[in-house]
Amino acid sequence: MRWRSWGRRMGAGVIGILLISLLLLNLWLNPARFAPSGILTTMGLAAPLLLAALATTPAILSGGGGIDISIGPMIGLLNVAMVQYLFLNGIESPLVVAPAVLLAAALLGMVNGLLVVWVRLPPIVATLGTYLVFVGLSPWVMNRPGGSVPEWLTRLGHDLSWLLLVLVAVLWMVLVRTPLYAYLMATGGSAKAAFASGVDVARVRLVAYTLGGLFAGAAALALTALIGSGDPNIGPPITLKAIAAVALGGVSLAGGRGGLIGAAAGAMIIYLLDLALTRTGFSTFVLQMIYGIVLVAAVVFNSVVARRRW
Amino acid sequence: MIGELLLEASGIRLTERSRPFGFQLGTGEIVGLAGLEGHGQTHFLEALAGIKGPFAGTIESLRDGRRQPVRGAHRAYAQGIVYLPQDRKTEGIFPSLSVLDNFRILTIGRDSRFGFLSWRRGQRAFAKHRERLGIVLASPASPITSLSGGNQQKVLLARLLESEPRVMLLNDPTRGVDHPTRLALFALFEELAQEAGLSVVVLSTEIDELVSHCHRAVVFREGAPSAQLDRASLTLDGVLAAMFGIAQTPTS
Repeated sequence: MRWRSWGRRMGAGVIGILLISLLLLNLWLNPARFAPSGILTTMGLAAPLLLAALATTPAILSGGGGIDISIGPMIGLLNVAMVQYLFLNGIESPLVVAPAVLLAAALLGMVNGLLVVWVRLPPIVATLGTYLVFVGLSPWVMNRPGGSVPEWLTRLGHDLSWLLLVLVAVLWMVLVRTPLYAYLMATGGSAKAAFASGVDVARVRLVAYTLGGLFAGAAALALTALIGSGDPNIGPPITLKAIAAVALGGVSLAGGRGGLIGAAAGAMIIYLLDLALTRTGFSTFVLQMIYGIVLVAAVVFNSVVARRRW
Repeated sequence: MIGELLLEASGIRLTERSRPFGFQLGTGEIVGLAGLEGHGQTHFLEALAGIKGPFAGTIESLRDGRRQPVRGAHRAYAQGIVYLPQDRKTEGIFPSLSVLDNFRILTIGRDSRFGFLSWRRGQRAFAKHRERLGIVLASPASPITSLSGGNQQKVLLARLLESEPRVMLLNDPTRGVDHPTRLALFALFEELAQEAGLSVVVLSTEIDELVSHCHRAVVFREGAPSAQLDRASLTLDGVLAAMFGIAQTPTS
């Protein structure tokens, strides 16, 4: 017991130290971004990655090799679909757009879930399949970047950038107090034990993928708010960053351990790293390499911390 | 069989080559399953629990005269048929969860209020079993892995008992449990059988235990029962003979 909480605390401590030092580095490099006047815009810049990381988390928590690598292209597809089918057709009311996007996103997540629990594909294969389908569909929906977004959505990227984050946080805080969360952590911790004690493992996993989809919908809204248009090529790179963020946030890729707070902290670290490196003039190729290294290092670190329990 | 019929298996063939057989379980019965390892008794118990289907045959539970097939552990639990796996470490406990969460995984659906979990309610329910089963632990919030094997087993039994089952299927429940606790467990089963009509099917590798605590026993050999021993004929020799396939002249 002691080892375990020690491991957990140490994990959280390392994340905290990384986060604070990166924050200080960025403050020093670029104070204007973190001034009170610019902080909401900075949050708007960070929100898509943050929400994408949260969207990646439930599938991973559900265990059994659970992962949803299609999250990036899913966000991209939702981005172009929202601009092409809604905004360019004059459908702009937030009361229509937000529910429509979130519903579509949840359905896409559910498709992933059905492929995993019903067709029984390994999650990496199932979501690689949908990854490719979403990548292919995006230019078909909108073949070049363009379009515009309504004013309320632009505000979501600036002065109202906290809104989506708060909504997702509230939703999660409600969820962790329901039986569903207990079933999710139990299934992720030991699918065999969950099955043997009558937990409907398939349904729990289906809900996890659907929930991930719903969060991806929020990420798509935040991204569209930020770029103010549709862009068929913007989705795919998000996946790797999001998974790196989740791993960095102490969510075990084996399932059953971690949570959204860790994932959000991991996403903040990736974002701040990104910001600092871009500011100091590193190229995007270097950034890609760094995400890869962060991903591997985080997974190694997690498993070392987990093993220290014994 | 005594009492009213709770669970009925008919035309069961565990594997393609094994002989078909039937099985009936009534209220308030404590039935032992025995057999040499790999002779089908484990598979049969898992089949009753809905975890692993038989090769052929049907298993049905009866409630208020209505028959329902037992298929899938999830549905079996909904019908009040609960199962304690043999391998506590891989199938029983959730190593990443606390004692309380391990305890209440079956009952959180029932015990949540307006869809929300209640820590206090869970703790109160656990306290009752903690005392009755003599579970030794620091706090219900501590990880299940901090408990000794015997105490983990008691938490798992508490988990099943709290769900107020009609049928408990136990796969070697007294493994790693000390002798006084074993006696206490069987005394508890007997009490629940008498008072609440609970039925227990217990598979054990300790034949003495089956002989001294069960109302009857079914001994498996080559994928099917080789003997059905009622209370009068339930002896150590009788069970051993059936396990090894030795013909026995009926006593008396």
